[in-house]
Amino acid sequence: MKNFQQNLQKLEAADTQVLGVSMDSPFANKAFADQIGVTFPLLSDWGGDVTHKYGIYVDKYKAARRVNFLIGKDGKILETQVDKEAIDPTKIVAACERHKVSR
Amino acid sequence: MKCNRRLLISFCTAAILSAATPLLSAQAKAAEPMSLKVGQDAPDFKLQYFDGTDLKDVSLSQYRGKKNVVLAFYVFAFTGG
Repeated sequence: MKNFQQNLQKLEAADTQVLGVSMDSPFANKAFADQIGVTFPLLSDWGGDVTHKYGIYVDKYKAARRVNFLIGKDGKILETQVDKEAIDPTKIVAACERHKVSR
Repeated sequence: MKCNRRLLISFCTAAILSAATPLLSAQAKAAEPMSLKVGQDAPDFKLQYFDGTDLKDVSLSQYRGKKNVVLAFYVFAFTGG
């Protein structure tokens, strides 16, 4: 999440809202956000309904998989990044800037 | 005789290892395919976050026509990544 914070200005400049999501409680997520200095919302998918809906619930961990979805203004999925590649936001930043130019 | 037995054991070990190796590497590589694909509609949702005072609602649909959204799912709070 820190990586997204570091790139937040670029993402916002490209008309992009960053939302973190995990199955932690809203209060745990707030404490986490404060600890690592994240200013965008960390949403609480308590119970995992949305994680299931997005098909990324991992039984073994009883938690979400590490995945980024870039969703366009029309609500369609533009890019996905899974597991290790989801940690580095460079591709998302590049994709946002690209989509900004094309739209 | 003793020598033969040792040979047999090492042969068996090698056989087991070589049989298991593809299994192991397949498991490590098994990046399961995602059920949601690029180009599909992202399912709408409404979730909450705590801003320090209140619980705030956020839905995906509130950004429609206004902003792109990066949904960054992470495993647990207080862990890396």
